[in-house]
Amino acid sequence: MKTFRSFIPPLAAMLMAASGGIAAQNVLIDKSEIRFVSKQMGVNVEGRFRKWKANMDFRPKELAKSKAEFEIELASIDLASEDSESEVRRTLWFDTAKYPVAKFASTGMKDLGGDRYEIAGTLTIKGTSKGIVVPVALGKDAAGNSVAEGQFTVKRLDFRIGEGLWADTDTVANEVQVRVRMVLPAVK
Amino acid sequence: MRSPVGVAYTRTAIVLHWLSGLLILCGFALGLWMVREPIAPATLRAYGYHKWIGITVFLVAVLRLAWRWRHPAPQAVAMPEWQQRAAALTHAVLYGLMLAIPLSGWLYSSATGIQVVYLGLVPLPDLVAKDKALAAALKAVHLTLNFSMLAVVFIHAGAALKHHFADRDGVLLRMLPRLARRSGESRP
Repeated sequence: MKTFRSFIPPLAAMLMAASGGIAAQNVLIDKSEIRFVSKQMGVNVEGRFRKWKANMDFRPKELAKSKAEFEIELASIDLASEDSESEVRRTLWFDTAKYPVAKFASTGMKDLGGDRYEIAGTLTIKGTSKGIVVPVALGKDAAGNSVAEGQFTVKRLDFRIGEGLWADTDTVANEVQVRVRMVLPAVK
Repeated sequence: MRSPVGVAYTRTAIVLHWLSGLLILCGFALGLWMVREPIAPATLRAYGYHKWIGITVFLVAVLRLAWRWRHPAPQAVAMPEWQQRAAALTHAVLYGLMLAIPLSGWLYSSATGIQVVYLGLVPLPDLVAKDKALAAALKAVHLTLNFSMLAVVFIHAGAALKHHFADRDGVLLRMLPRLARRSGESRP
């Protein structure tokens, strides 16, 4: 189960289900989102990624067997203007031609009680990997789906996002708040 | 240190007038420059300063209107009635534009999804929600109002110079009492 569910052809998924393997939960992509807030000239500027894949197998009672994996298509970034979108695809920022995808893979989960969890994992952007810990709150939406919401701060310079003349953090702050909201069929 | 009634504007009115002029000139020049530049930290800073200058122009205009309400303009210098009317109309349009242009810029910024934070300290509310089509329309409005302002400022300054150099009637000196004192024209 190392591959992403979305990459597995349906037949393989069926075979695995038949052989007792547990298929990953289908994240409800349309209801889920990966957003971020960066600070420019003291102004919070919001953005999001339009295209990403998730492979979540979240079992609150079996955290050791649970996992959360993401692949984010960096070129799908949604910002205030097309000019800034094409700018952040360039080499000084994400360099999407060379590093098209950002990845997160969980390495461990902890139950903090009261529907709060901590997911530790490795975040890889632009060829740099760093360990991060994401606090996650688990809830439900009106339709009875499970909603996992996590928030963490990325220091963009740790990943060389915004090099050279952009490294000055007075104009674009180093800290970027990432907000992940995943909606999945009810987890047990 | 008040100028004699009926001869010159009050010192406050004079200071605020030239402050408006200076801010408008800087804001306009910065605006013309930044929209032609590729995105870079200096450009982002320019956008920030441009917005702060604009909000200041608005605040100074409000202050000037409040001041003028209590301290009417000095008695008109003798000139044909059509010129009096044209001057009054030009001044009214200038006041209108000093209020409308910053507002249109603020609206435009809101529509692009970027909040205006005055001086990087005071967050102003977003006037409209993020909307690309609306942003494009507001950009056109902001540009049109600015080039109208440019035209009206040329009329305003041209008329002042004409009064000073052609008519030699002391109209310009009402806004430049120091120059008047030096040449001894408005002092008895």
